[in-house]
This record gives sequence, C-alpha cells and structure tokens, in this order.
Amino acid sequence: MNADRLHLERARVRPWRPSARVAAPVAILALGLGLAACGKLLTTAPAPGDLFDAPLDGLSAAELAAFAEGDAQFGRPFSVTEGLGPIFNNVSCASCHSGDGRGRPENALTRFSRGTDPARDVGGPQLQDKAIPGAEAEQLPAGVDRSRRLPPPVFGMGLLEAIPEADILANADATDSNGDGISGRPNWVTPPEFLPAHGGAPVVGRFSRKAQVSSILEQTIAAYHQDIGITTDFLAAENTNPLASVATEAADRVADPELPAAAVRSVVAYLRTLAPPAPGTETPARGRGRVVFGSIGCASCHVPSLRTGPSTIPALANRDVALYSDLLLHDMGDELADGRPDGQADGREWRTTPLWGLRVMRAFLNGQAFLLHDGRARSVAEAIEAHGGEAAAARDAYRALSGADRAALVDFVESR
Amino acid sequence: MNPMCRLGEIARFTLLALALVIPESVTATPSSSDPSDSLASAERPFVPGGYDDKPHLRGLFGHIALGGYAEAHAVWERVDGATEEAGFNLKRWNLLASSRVGRHVQMWAEVEFEDGGSEIVLELAQLDLELHPGMNLRAGMLLVPIGRFNLAHDGPRNAFTDRPLLATELVGSALSMPGFGLFGRVPLGGRGRGTYELYGVNGYHDGLLLASPDGTRLPEGRGNVEDNNASPAIATRLAWSPAEPHELGLSGFAGAYNRYRVDGVDVDEKRSVRIAAFDARTAALGIEWSGELAVISADIPPGLVGLFASRQAGWFVETTRSFGHGGLRTMPASYFSVGARVEGVDFDRDLAGDSRVQVTTGVHFHPSPESVLKLDYRRSRSRDRFNNSSEGAAVQLSFTSYF
Ligand code: HEC
Ligand code: HEC
Repeated sequence: MNADRLHLERARVRPWRPSARVAAPVAILALGLGLAACGKLLTTAPAPGDLFDAPLDGLSAAELAAFAEGDAQFGRPFSVTEGLGPIFNNVSCASCHSGDGRGRPENALTRFSRGTDPARDVGGPQLQDKAIPGAEAEQLPAGVDRSRRLPPPVFGMGLLEAIPEADILANADATDSNGDGISGRPNWVTPPEFLPAHGGAPVVGRFSRKAQVSSILEQTIAAYHQDIGITTDFLAAENTNPLASVATEAADRVADPELPAAAVRSVVAYLRTLAPPAPGTETPARGRGRVVFGSIGCASCHVPSLRTGPSTIPALANRDVALYSDLLLHDMGDELADGRPDGQADGREWRTTPLWGLRVMRAFLNGQAFLLHDGRARSVAEAIEAHGGEAAAARDAYRALSGADRAALVDFVESR
Repeated sequence: MNPMCRLGEIARFTLLALALVIPESVTATPSSSDPSDSLASAERPFVPGGYDDKPHLRGLFGHIALGGYAEAHAVWERVDGATEEAGFNLKRWNLLASSRVGRHVQMWAEVEFEDGGSEIVLELAQLDLELHPGMNLRAGMLLVPIGRFNLAHDGPRNAFTDRPLLATELVGSALSMPGFGLFGRVPLGGRGRGTYELYGVNGYHDGLLLASPDGTRLPEGRGNVEDNNASPAIATRLAWSPAEPHELGLSGFAGAYNRYRVDGVDVDEKRSVRIAAFDARTAALGIEWSGELAVISADIPPGLVGLFASRQAGWFVETTRSFGHGGLRTMPASYFSVGARVEGVDFDRDLAGDSRVQVTTGVHFHPSPESVLKLDYRRSRSRDRFNNSSEGAAVQLSFTSYF
C-alpha cells in the first residue's frame, strides 16, 4: 500500500539552512513580482473621457442602474441553446460594435434589395452569412443591389435622438437654394409595424449609415432580430432563409419570443445614456484646424454643434452636442456610391457621419482605424480623399491647402 | 511616484539582488534525494498526486478508506481598474472513498461539491481489476488522461489557488467521463518505469458549440453521461519516468461530439474533437518544475466557421520551491514554499486575438504536507476577438487541506 510511503515522503523534516534554502524561493518570487509594474499592481482604469462605454454626466442613481443593466445586455453573447439564429451575423451587440465603438471590415454586414424592394423572397434586406447547426446560412443572390456596412459607434445615440426635428430640417437644402453645391435632405421614414410609434406620421430618420432608421428602439429590435437571430416581444417570429433547402426555423428549438421587452428596453436606455468620448485638448494647431474645417466647407455638412430639446432624461435635455453632423443625406459621388437605395436615400447618398470618438477609435480596434461606411479608409486623410459629389469642392479645397494646414485639419478631426 | 510605491520597488529589487548574490542557491540539494526514489517502480503510485496517492489511504477501516479535501478561497480581482470580484467561496468540498474487494479488485471514488454545493458531481467512480501490474482493467467514471494535471488536481496538490487555464478553460478539468479500458505499468530498468492508459469514453457532447456563447469551449461539452451519438471516443496517455520526480507524458484524445445519427438515420456530418497533450515534470537546482502543452482541433459546422474556433492551444510552466522545513518550533512538520506559474491559452488560433496570458506568483505555508495556506498574486492580459487587450490582476488567499 502507498500509505506508509506517503507518510515518509511528505512528513520529512528538513534542516533549516537559510542561505541555500531561501535564495531560490526569493528569486522566483521576485521575478514574478517584477513582472507587475509599480502603481499598477491591481490595474488602472482609463479616464472616463477615453471610453466609448461611459455614462453621460449627471445621470440619477436609477438611470445609472438602468445603464449598468443595459451595458451587460449589450455585451451578452447568445449561445444556440439561448436562441442564437437560426440564421445570424454575430453573437452579441458588442461582438460587432467593439467596445461600443465601430467595427472592422471582418464583421461588417451586407444589405441587399432590388431597388427599393427589400427582396424578402430571396432573403433580403440583410445577408445572414452564419447559421446554427441544422440551418443554412444565406448566400448573396444574383441580380440584387448590395451595400456593405461597417458597424458605426453607438455612443451619443440619446443625444442624436433628442435633437428636435425642426433643428435638423433647418439645415436641409434639398434644392441647393443657396447655391453652395451642398443640398442635404432628410430621410423621411415610416416607423415599421413592430414599433409602438407605428401608424403616426413619417419621421426624420437619424440612425444607421443612410439615416434609414427612425429610433433607437427600432435599431435595437431589428439588430436582435436580423443580426443575432433573437426574437423579442416586439418581433416574435424568427428570421429565416427563404432559399434554404430545409426549413431553417426548425433548427432553432428555443421558444419565441427569446428575449423579453424589458431586456430590449434596458439596451435602449443604455444606448440613450452612453456619453460620447471627450474631445482632445485644444492646441494652437487644432485651433487652426478648426478654422480650416469651417473655411473649406467641411462644416457645411459636418455641422459642429446641434442643440437637444426637452427630454425625460435631464442629462439629455437642452444641451449643445458637438456631433459634427447635420444628420442629413448627401450625394457623395460615384466612388462612395453603393447603388442601393434605403428608404428615401438613393444609391449615392449617405448620412453625414458624426465626427466624434475619433481620438480614441484606435484604442478599441487594436491600433487600427476603419473609416467611411464600409471601413475602406484607414486614416482621416484617406476618408477626406474619398469624398466626392456634394463634398468634391471641400475635398479639392483640402488638396489645395498648405502642408501645415492639411496636417492641422487632420489633427483637429482626429482630436474629436 | 508615491512613497509606498517606491518602497515596493526597492523591496522588489533587494529581493532580486539577494537571490542573485547568494551562491548556495545553485548548490541546493535537489529533491531527487527523496526516499521515495528508492521505491521500486511497482510501489510508486500510478499517478503521483492522483487517485491512488492521497493521505486518506493511510486510514483503512478494514478494506475501506474514507477521506476528502476542502478548498476555501478569498479573491479580489480587478480588470482594467474596475473590481470584477471580491468575495469568498467554498470552492470545493470533496469526499474520497476507496475500497479493496478481494486481492484483485479495487474501487476509487470522489464526489465533488463545488461552489458552496451549487454543483454536485460524481467526479470519479472507477473499478479496477488487476490482472497483472502491466495489465489492469478499469471501468466506471474515469478521469480522462489528457495531460497530467487532469489526473492530479486536488487543492492541496495544486501549486496555486487557481488551476491552470489550460485545464479549466480549454480541456475542462476536472474532466471525467464514463468509460472502459486498460492501464498498466512496465518497469524500465532501475528506478525507471513506463505507464499507459487506454480507454474508450463517451467523449464530449455538442454543448461545446451549442451551449457556448463565446465560441468553441470544450468545458461546455462535458457531462455526456449517456453517449449522445453512440460513438465512443478514445483517450490515452503514455508516460515515462526515469525516477521520481521526473516524468514525460504524451496524451491523445479523439471522438465525435455531435449527434450525427439518430435511430440509424444520418442527420448530420460526423464532427470530432481531437486533443494532443504533452506534459513534463522534473526537479533541478532544488526547484520543482512542471508544465503542459495541449493543442485542440475541432470540426466546426460550415454555418459557424469564423465565429467558432477549429483550433485552440494552451500551455503552462510552473515552478515551486519549498523552504523553512520545521522552521516553526511549534509546528515541526511545517514548511513554506514559493512558486511561479506562466501560462497562456489561445481560444482561436486562426485569430490574432481571443487569447490570454497570465503570470501567478505565490507564497504558501504548509502546516503539514496535507494542508496549504496559499497567498497568490496574479497578473493577466486578455485579448478579445478584436485583439484589444485588457489587464487583469488578482490577489487570492486560499486554504486547502485533505481530511
Ligand atoms: C453583425 C454586426 C452587428 C451586430 C451584431 C449589431 N450591430 Fe448595430 N450596427 C451594425 C451595422 C453594420 C450598423 C450600420 C447599419 C446600416 O447602416 O444599415 C449598425 C448600426 C447600429 C446603430 C446605429 C448607429 C448610428 O450611428 O446610427 C445602433 C444604435 C446599433 N447598431 C445598435 C446595436 C445593438 C443594440 C445591437 C445588439 C442588439 C447591435 N447593434 C448589433 C452592425 C451590428
Ligand atoms: C457634402 C457633405 C460633406 C462635406 C462637405 C464633407 N463631408 Fe465628410 N462626410 C460626409 C458624409 C456623407 C460622410 C459619410 C460617407 C461614407 O460613409 O461613405 C462623411 C464622412 C467623413 C469622415 C469619415 C468618418 C467616419 O467615422 O467614418 C470624415 C473623417 C470626414 N467625413 C471628414 C470630412 C472633412 C475633414 C471634410 C472637409 C474637408 C468633410 N468631411 C467634408 C459628408 C461631408
């Protein structure tokens, strides 16, 4: 039996010889501790202004509690046994919106349609290229218009939503009556049936790359349904692949709806109260950049500031928002055109992208930058170079700038 | 730099300097002079630190031995400056039993109450029939021989509070499966010996994909109590030990995990998991070393490719050194030890991110060889699927003992 041997081996008392016995242990310990830098013994937090997932200042305790709950829900990945699929794109909101910021080309998604017809008979308007076992992922059908879309950041959404419609329309100039070559127009959208707001008048769309989405609630319900394959109290029937050789809905055995309205609302509350990151410090060069930004016409579309109206959340009410966008659609020329209409937006138009969070975007994409609707630009300079259509004049003016002014402009934009 | 911080810095470098200038450190007696080395190969436990190497085996009531071990943790863990966890946990309370039936049959069992009893599992319940030291039959709930750690992982034998990531996150230790097979030991000259284990087991089930929201995770495919696909898996480990405490082990595992045939009808393609592991332990310069490396490959259904990993890997190397034996007059059996573990897991080898590396150091007090009070400090860097990194740190205090 091993018992006696164990006694012998383990209970042996060894003599205490300090120098020899202590040295090696001390070395091991010191080496280990040496790997932890001082002052960071228990890790340090980034400043709230450097994050994409910090709450707005001035939220009440109850609003912060809702924020924390929504934060967890936004990050929650779904497994197949929790309802993922049958067809889907990714497993959680955060798996596409990195750190609540933008995504990268690998997790961009493809929308498709035939003109304004969403092509539901062939699986439109979104390509779900993943499927759970037993289901069949979609493949892009022939003969459709397609649009590749990089996930945009999701902070500041509550501020966008709180800007009165009239203030957005005040910047619209669909017929270019002032003759500046810039003719922003709104994307009027009808809230879909699954929304409580359905049945009312069309509203100015503000969300997504072509401002084709009416509210944060709509965006969230649709994201669960289309991107993750999660049914909710609002939209309780699974999205399926109409071209699959088998009935794909049979693969998802979780009873619908898979997520209660309360969970959806917590995500909406979270997105509403997510603060945009703080801009960088002002420097003389950035001051110069700001001036150039105005003088060469960037600010005609990237309107530096809009003001929110009243809101049930005091932290959102009546405040200036430095979003650098008019939330309107602009013809951006051939090169950026996707040729696919989205609501009233045509195949050459895009919503002016808010310029915020650019200062820290690289921190959430492992040092990389992906700009424009499909992530094709790897730097602010590349993004400006790609501007065309209504922005061609501003782009040409940018090209004509002195080297110092160009650098100051880029530095200013990158410090937003 | 604040004064506390500077103090810490100075202490650290003094320790390091001390360690380097004390020449005897190189000549410290290696523990290979342990009396156990002189034991003939057949008397050594089949798995040192494993099922047949536990203190309760000393107290046989007739042919039955009862014992167990308990493990209580206190942890303070922070990630990127925010506290993730601060609290206490009765991590494990395990009951061990073994019994000899006649000359050739033995039963070994272990029931685990995990996390304060929230999970109760029959971790081990095996019957051994000895035909010859080189050939034994084994059946029941077996510890799957994937690497050495899975076979010898009790709190008092684990060098740190936490188990290695490779074991907990990749393979799913403690991993036991219902199975049937053979094991044996072969003397290899002098103090050397070889051991082998070869079992048919139920394998993992498709929970490793379906129940896992984070990508392929083998631990989610444990608990395949009734084989889900009527297709057994094979698990084997070969080990060679020239003498205690030196050993090299090679393990392999392969088996289908999904339900591909139902009532004789093929409903899906057969998809398998394969694991290869290498483990080693030795002692040199008075320091005990051990380490493991495992690589996993899994067949992924086409609809999940890109999100669920088909290749994973993990490794760890740990060193420990005991000192101060009998240094406490009131506790003559007591001693101290310190150790360091460096480890990494890559949850998806086809992605730049989705991985974690970490370093743990600890100072441990052993009131007796069966009990340990561990104080550990751990530092980690995790990378998400976007390859963004986050920093983690933890201080852990744990008390674990056989009984
Ligand atoms: C597969 C990747 C993916 C997933 C998963 C995903 N999103 Fe998105 N998200 C996108 C893309 C791409 C867009 C832009 C869509 C467009 O322009 O048509 C977007 C747009 C948005 C917007 C609008 C941002 C803006 O600037 O107008 C919000 C808000 C949003 N998503 C929230 C969510 C929430 C909440 C979830 C989880 C329920 C989620 N997303 C899951 C890819 C994703
Ligand atoms: C005619 C309106 C208009 C003008 C003028 C304009 N932009 Fe834009 N800008 C847009 C639109 C619309 C987009 C989105 C295009 C896309 O995604 O394909 C955009 C995108 C960008 C982006 C990428 C943001 C991101 O997160 O992907 C940057 C940077 C940018 N603009 C900077 C500038 C600068 C600097 C100027 C002045 C030289 C300028 N823009 C002039 C309308 C305009």
